[in-house]
Amino acid sequence: MPDMSVLAGPQQHQFNPYAENGGTILAIAGADFTVVAGDTRQSEGYSIQTRYAPKVFRLTDRAVLAVNGFAADGNMFVKKVKQRLEWYRHAHAKDMPLRAIARLIQTMLYAQRFFPYYVYNILGGIEEDGSGAVYSFDPVGSYEREACRAAGAAQSLVQPFLDNQIYFKNQTAAPGQSHPTHLPLSDVLSIVIDSFTSATERHIEVGDGLEIYIVLAKGRSLQGVEGLRGLREMSSREDGERVFVLQRELKKD
Amino acid sequence: MNSFATKFSPTDADIELRRAQEIAEEEGMSDVMWGSEAGFGNLVNGHAFNIPSVPDPSSFLRLHTDDHADPNCKIKIQHGTTTLAFRFQGGVIVAVDSRATAGSYIASGTVKKVIEINPYLLGTMAGGAADCQYWETYLGIQCRLHELRNKERISVAAASKYLSNLVYGYKGMGLSMGTMICGWDKTGPAVFYVDSDGTRLKGDLFSVGSGSTFAYGVLDQGYRWDLTDAEAQELGRRSIYAAGHRDAFSGNTCNLYHVKEDGWKFIGNYDITKMHYDGPGEVAGAPGGGYGYDVRTQGRFSALAPTVPA
Amino acid sequence: MSIMDHNGGSVIAMAGKDCVAIASDLRLGAGAQTIAMNFEKVFPVTDRLYMGLPGLATDVITLREKFRYLTNMFHIKESRPLQPSTFAHLLSSTLYERRFGPYFCEPVLAGLELTPSGTYQPYIAGTDLIGCLNFAKDFIVAGTASDKLFGVAEGLWEPDLGPEDLFETISQTLLNSVDRDAYSGWGAIVHVITADKVVTRTLKGRMD
Repeated sequence: MPDMSVLAGPQQHQFNPYAENGGTILAIAGADFTVVAGDTRQSEGYSIQTRYAPKVFRLTDRAVLAVNGFAADGNMFVKKVKQRLEWYRHAHAKDMPLRAIARLIQTMLYAQRFFPYYVYNILGGIEEDGSGAVYSFDPVGSYEREACRAAGAAQSLVQPFLDNQIYFKNQTAAPGQSHPTHLPLSDVLSIVIDSFTSATERHIEVGDGLEIYIVLAKGRSLQGVEGLRGLREMSSREDGERVFVLQRELKKD
Repeated sequence: MNSFATKFSPTDADIELRRAQEIAEEEGMSDVMWGSEAGFGNLVNGHAFNIPSVPDPSSFLRLHTDDHADPNCKIKIQHGTTTLAFRFQGGVIVAVDSRATAGSYIASGTVKKVIEINPYLLGTMAGGAADCQYWETYLGIQCRLHELRNKERISVAAASKYLSNLVYGYKGMGLSMGTMICGWDKTGPAVFYVDSDGTRLKGDLFSVGSGSTFAYGVLDQGYRWDLTDAEAQELGRRSIYAAGHRDAFSGNTCNLYHVKEDGWKFIGNYDITKMHYDGPGEVAGAPGGGYGYDVRTQGRFSALAPTVPA
Repeated sequence: MSIMDHNGGSVIAMAGKDCVAIASDLRLGAGAQTIAMNFEKVFPVTDRLYMGLPGLATDVITLREKFRYLTNMFHIKESRPLQPSTFAHLLSSTLYERRFGPYFCEPVLAGLELTPSGTYQPYIAGTDLIGCLNFAKDFIVAGTASDKLFGVAEGLWEPDLGPEDLFETISQTLLNSVDRDAYSGWGAIVHVITADKVVTRTLKGRMD
C-alpha cells in the first residue's frame, strides 16, 4: 500500500461569489436629453448564456440606470435602488431628483464596501434644471458627473472613440470657428450605434442586441424621435420628462 | 410544554419582532432609511457595513480587489495620483492632478481629487476614490454637527483627528486612503496628512501618490515660507505639471486651490499638455511660455539641434 | 506587469488607396516613469516598406539591427528588390527561431508590393511575438494601446482613403488611443507611403 499521507496536504477552498458577464454600456448627455445604451448579450467565458438580458433600466421618468459587470449583483442592485425610490415616492409624493439618486447609489454601493457588488453603474437622465446629465460610479461608490462615459468589457475600445467624436479631442476647429458643446440627438444616436457596431466587430463579449434609452427634458419637442424605427415610449405621462427605448440588432457571431 | 422554560424564554411576539429586525438589518432596511440621514443611515444604528461570512473577510476583499497582487482580479480600485499641499506665509496651497487609472487604462481625466469638506476645509484624494469621497463627505457632516453643538468651527487638528480615528477603527480591513486635510483655523493655516494605516502628521509640506517623488523635486527646490501668493500658486501648478509629465499614472489637468483666512478659493483648472507647450496662460506668477524642456531649450544651443526627418 | 508593457509604446498601420500609413508614439518608459519622449518604433526596411516594433525596448533595438543586417544580406546575395510579402516571411521565420525564448516585440509591417503588371498594391501585416503572420485588409495594431487602437480604428477607418485622408485617419486614431493609455503617448510620428515618396510627419501629442 503506497503511503498516501504525503498527498493529504491542507485542502483549500476559495469562496468566489463573483463572475464576469461581459457586455458594454454607454451614456451620453446632451443639452436637454440623455442617451443611455447597452448591448443585450450575457456571457461567461466563451459561452453565451443569453442573447437578451437587458442591462439598462428605467428608474423614473427622468432617470435611467445602466449596470455592467456581474449580472446577478447588477439585477439585485437595480431591484434595491427601485425599492428605495418607491419608498421615497411614498414618503415625499414625488420622484427623487437625479442628483439625489446619484448620492443614494453612492451610499448603497459603499454600504457593501467590504463585500462589494461587482457592478459598474452609469446613471443617466435629466437634472432638475432641465439639463441632460450622466453620473458614473465605480463598484464601491466613487462617482462623478460627466457628459459621456462607456463602461464594461469594451470600454477601452469605445471611450477613446467617444473622446474624439463627442469631446472633439485632438481636433482643431477651423479658424474662427469652434466645436459645439452639445451635439444634437440625431448625431448622438448615430455615434452610439457606430460605437456598438465597432465594439461588436472587435470584442467577443459584445453583440446580439442593442437597447438605447432616450430621456427627453420636460417641454422639449420630440423632433425626429417619433419617426425612429422600433421606438417604444416608457414614460408614465406626456407632460413631464419622457423616456423612450430604441431597439437595434447587433451581429450575433 | 415546560412552564419553567417558557417563563425564561422570550415570548412569541418577542421572537417575531427580533426575527423581523434581524431580517430588516440583514437586508439593510432599517428605519433610518425611510427618513433623512443624508444617505448615511447605515452608520446611525451602529451596525454599518455588510461583511462577507467568511473566516477572514479582509483577505476575501484583498483577493477580489487588490490589483497590485493580482492584475486580473475583477474589481479594480483606482490607483495612481499626484496630490500636494503646503503651508506658507499666505495660507495653504492645494494642487492635484485629475487622472484615474485602472491598470494601464486611463479611466478618467476629469476626477475631482480635492474634496470640498466645507468652506474652510479641503481634503485631497489618493488611493481608493470611494473611500476618500465617502469618508470626507461624512467628515463634513460631523464638522457641521461640531459647529452646531459648540457654536464654533472645528479646528483642522480636530477634524483631521476625527478622520484619522475613524479610519483607524477599520484598520486592516482594506480601506485605502492617503489624504491631506487642509484649512485655516484659530492657529492659522494648517495641513495634516492622514492615511488609512492610521498615520496622522502635522507638517508644512506634503505630496502623496505615485507622482509625489516628481512633485517633491520641484516643490522642495522652490519652497520658502515667505513665498508670495502668486509665487506659491505657480509652485503648486509647476510641481503637478512635473509629475503629470513624468509619471504615467498622473496627468490630464491640475486643480489648484488656495486657502486663506476667509476660507478656500478655487484658483483654476490647468491642462497639463497646455502647460507643457504654452504655459498656464495669463496667470499671476507664471514666467510666460511653456514648461516643457524642449519648448524652453529648442534652438538655444547647438548640441541638440532639432532634427528634421527626411 | 507584463514584460511587454515595461517600456510602453504602440504602433498602428493602415491601408488606403494606392498608399499605406504606419505610425507610432514616442514614449520610452520604465514602468510608470517616463524616460524619453523621442523613442521612434517605426523603421524603414526598403524605400517602400516600413516596420514598426512595439514591445521591450532592448528587443526593439536588437531586432531593428538584426533586420537591417538581414535585408542588407538579401540585397547582396539576391540583387533584386525585397518585396513586403518576402520580408514578412523572413520576419516570421526569424521570430520563430526563438520560439521558446522569444523577442518581446509584436512587429507591424506597412508597404507597397510590386504587382506583375508593374503597379504597387498596399500591403500591411502584423505578427505576434513568435512570428504568426496576420494579413489584414484594413489595419493592424500592436502595443500597450492595442485594444484602444482597435476600437477607434474600427470606428474611423474606411476603404480607399487617399494619402491625405489616410494621414488624418491614422493620426486621429493613434492620438486618441494613446490618450487613454498610461504607457503610450508623449508625441507621435506618422509615415505615409505612396509609390513615388514617403511623407513623414511628427505630431504634437499630449505630454502626460
